[in-house]
Amino acid sequence: MTLLLQYVANGLAAGSLYALVALGIVLLYRCSRVLNFAHGDLATLGVFFAFSGITRGWPYGLALLGGLAGAAAVSAAFYRLLIKPVRQATALSLVITTLGFALFLSGLMVWAWGTDTKVFPFPLSEVRVFRFGGVVVSELTAGSLAVGLVLVAGLSALVQRTRLGLAMRAVAQNPVAAQLLGVPAGQVLAATWAVAGALGAAAGMLLAPAVLLDPFMMLDPFLKGFAAAVLGGMDSLPGAVAGGLILGVAESVFAGYVSVKYKATLSFVVIVAVLLVRPEGLLGRPFHRRV
Amino acid sequence: MRTAAWLCAVVLLALPLSTGAQERGVTADEVIIGTSMPLSGPAAYWGAVGRGMEAYARYLNDQGGIHGRRLRVVVRDDSYLPPRAAANVRELVERVGVFAIVGLIGTANAFAVRDYIVRNQVVWITPTADATMWYGFRDKKYLFVTYPSYVEEAKILVDYAARQLGAKSIAVFYQNDLYGQKGLLGAKQGAVRSRVRITAQVPYEVTQADVSSEAVKLRESRADAVLLYATPRHGALIVREMAKIGYTPKLLSSFTLGDPIMFTLAGEAWNGVISTGFFPLPGTGDSKVDEALAILTRVDPSLRTNPFNALAGWAFMEPFVEGLRRAGRELTKERFVTAMESIRNWDGQVIRGVTFGPDRRQGINRVFLTRAEGGRWTRLTDWISYPTGF
Amino acid sequence: MVELRTSYAQDLRLVSGWTGWAGLLLLGGGLVLLPLVAPRYALYVVTLAAVHAVVAVGLNLLVGYTGQISLGHAGFFAVGAYTHGLLLTRLGWSFLPSLISAAVTSALFGYAVGLPALRLTGPYLAVATLAFGLAVHQVLVNWEALSGGRSGLFLPDVQLVGVSLKDDRALYWTVLAVASLLVWVAVRLVRSYVGRAWVAIRDSDVAAEVSGVNLTRYKTLAFALSALYTGVAGALMGHVVGFLEPQLFTLFESVYFFSMVVVGGLASISGSILGAVVLTLLPQALSGMGEVLNVLYGAAVILVLRFEPGGLAARWLRIQRYWRTWPL
Repeated sequence: MTLLLQYVANGLAAGSLYALVALGIVLLYRCSRVLNFAHGDLATLGVFFAFSGITRGWPYGLALLGGLAGAAAVSAAFYRLLIKPVRQATALSLVITTLGFALFLSGLMVWAWGTDTKVFPFPLSEVRVFRFGGVVVSELTAGSLAVGLVLVAGLSALVQRTRLGLAMRAVAQNPVAAQLLGVPAGQVLAATWAVAGALGAAAGMLLAPAVLLDPFMMLDPFLKGFAAAVLGGMDSLPGAVAGGLILGVAESVFAGYVSVKYKATLSFVVIVAVLLVRPEGLLGRPFHRRV
Repeated sequence: MRTAAWLCAVVLLALPLSTGAQERGVTADEVIIGTSMPLSGPAAYWGAVGRGMEAYARYLNDQGGIHGRRLRVVVRDDSYLPPRAAANVRELVERVGVFAIVGLIGTANAFAVRDYIVRNQVVWITPTADATMWYGFRDKKYLFVTYPSYVEEAKILVDYAARQLGAKSIAVFYQNDLYGQKGLLGAKQGAVRSRVRITAQVPYEVTQADVSSEAVKLRESRADAVLLYATPRHGALIVREMAKIGYTPKLLSSFTLGDPIMFTLAGEAWNGVISTGFFPLPGTGDSKVDEALAILTRVDPSLRTNPFNALAGWAFMEPFVEGLRRAGRELTKERFVTAMESIRNWDGQVIRGVTFGPDRRQGINRVFLTRAEGGRWTRLTDWISYPTGF
Repeated sequence: MVELRTSYAQDLRLVSGWTGWAGLLLLGGGLVLLPLVAPRYALYVVTLAAVHAVVAVGLNLLVGYTGQISLGHAGFFAVGAYTHGLLLTRLGWSFLPSLISAAVTSALFGYAVGLPALRLTGPYLAVATLAFGLAVHQVLVNWEALSGGRSGLFLPDVQLVGVSLKDDRALYWTVLAVASLLVWVAVRLVRSYVGRAWVAIRDSDVAAEVSGVNLTRYKTLAFALSALYTGVAGALMGHVVGFLEPQLFTLFESVYFFSMVVVGGLASISGSILGAVVLTLLPQALSGMGEVLNVLYGAAVILVLRFEPGGLAARWLRIQRYWRTWPL
């Protein structure tokens, strides 16, 4: 029983990080209908910015904020320079643009920071643990879970209760109508991209102390986060969180009791199964198209 | 259709014709060497081997070169992809016209280019692939390898764990590719020979970020010792994870984890790990290796963050340079082969104990064991040999 | 040189006018004679580009013409490659039967993926195909008995009309022949009622269905054919590299193929070929640049799409249009 709980705890830990990544992806998809495949690399870039700040001796909090701000700025700039001006862009060419950007960023990070793995210092320790019975949970994991919850609450508040959130929802529903009513769609979208970038960077900063920092550290978490977003529903922020946690736990328990080798395959099978049965995901609204 | 015609023109224009030379890659004042490395993509960490080779060549050139010839190292990037490696090798041989291919990272990549290199009788020095891929292979005339065998190394590690550490059960944590699988194979063979049980075989994917379930699985196996066949990153991750959940077996690792970066990545959890090595590690009291590292970092300061792979580049190229020296001023492939075959128990500055012969192309067949203590490596045993296979 | 069409038959013709035929002969002749003038490594790269072109054309049928999205085409690439490889090594079949079987198997897999995909659109379809591609990769890595795992599967020396395919030139001509055939079929297909049905589905599937286009039939056909092309290309790739290893069939490959199609131009066969050629030559040309390679490659893709979202084919069309009424 303790063993099962340990696997579940590990799963929740991994899942909370998938959930954070998924949040960024879902936010962008909801508001600007773009699948951002550069999300993982943007997040890693933010962490590298913070890392540079720390190695230069900046105070800790400042470096982290710098990382978040940097990721937000690059994300918004990407939108402004490469997504917005292209009017005839199809969804597919947008996807490829983000993929190209991902490649560009990863190459840039290798060139600027080198390929060796680095240790990312963090106030929450990965090694200090809480023990509940036989189950071990690290400080960092507890912290990630807490931060994740705070971020979800914060995002929900942003989207549901602020004017910016209202503007985001308006632009998401019908950009032209929103603009006619005086909503500056371009600025709102740039803000959305910035927030999504910062979210990704936050996820990265919680991930890096645990998995060690290198330019490709977000590759796997990004794919899992993407899968989690689909599982939970691409339209739903709480769905992203739920999807992430469920995916993390399922993976961990499967690896523990069935087969470590096929751990990764499971995630993809789960995704396909969910898509076959309920394409809009667990918490998403069923997708109805108007003709 | 017109588009296609333009296409054709574009393609043809992009293909400059090759030039010929008397002995390919050798001119009056230059010897050209080529290599294909992962300089981009997830395996880019190993690309430092190529940069180490370049730095070593620059150092030699500053000293006047070999018999009045400068060494030119041409490095191509293959992002660890076999088709690109194959294209790079063809380009190096046909367009750049290299005398030899030195190194080539990745067993899959080595397989992809093997036939071409053999067919074209290109001198090939030390592809970094498991040595057993050459056992029983014909046409090794121009091949000279100084790279350990993962299989044999694993057997030695298991033997040490059984005899010196009293381990009765072993678990293996391995990367799910040829490198890790060869290590696992060696562990299994070693387990039979040393009469220990393998209680768990836990693979991981190189793209994986989270190894917590793997650590729990290892703990459940209750093995006395755990054998690690992993990249530095995953080696550090699993060791930290195991410490976190309170599992402290004896730890043994492949030489790829003899990299000093492990101390930074894994911190205290790395102390006590026993690793193999095939060249003396820097900072362990071997002045020649320390001097080599100092030279490399002076010539190319960016190598400071990757000293292990840079030194490996030097180690791979050293026997080749010795072969050039022994072949003399008049350099042809045949004279080079004869020169290499004359190398017996030779110590370079970094690599040690190289032996080739008319029937021997496996230059080194021994490793030593070293232990991590207090943030540095200390030598544990003398050289341990294993049987040669080719 | 404005070409006026005066009959429907003339409109249907693939090659028209003396410029068309001259261009075709020049192209055909050039491609066939290439091995005699080009250095061997160049030939290798061109062969690789031809294989990629087949994938790009196949993928374009699905993505450009039918408007579906697939991020898992490396999976079909692998199915074709391993089917061919296994039939050659384990059952000792000869080249053509094995290649045809690989084509059929890939098509069946395509159909199997296409069926559930009928209900999915947009990001959901993207993820489903992504999952398929990754699942295939995982199976190849872990099911060693089938795929040879990471040790790889070596392709034997195959003879075709008495010539070994290990010879660069023979391989090039074989790939060229297969590629030409498949491209010709694709061109005819998109100009036929099938192509029109696909485009109708892409532009408005509800309207298409209302007008009598059977969505199930044509969507699954698109998936099956796209998979068939990719599978054949995979089989040929096995000969080009000489052996098969799961690393050749990762997500990176899927993305790579996808980028060839989009950069070349959606819904344009010649665009796909162009995209494949450019994106195969580019990494090779840049391979001396080390870590800057990804930066330049990514930048190239972004810039092409920024300034010409229709891809290279659209840009080419604009150039043609500009010169059409020259010197006015």
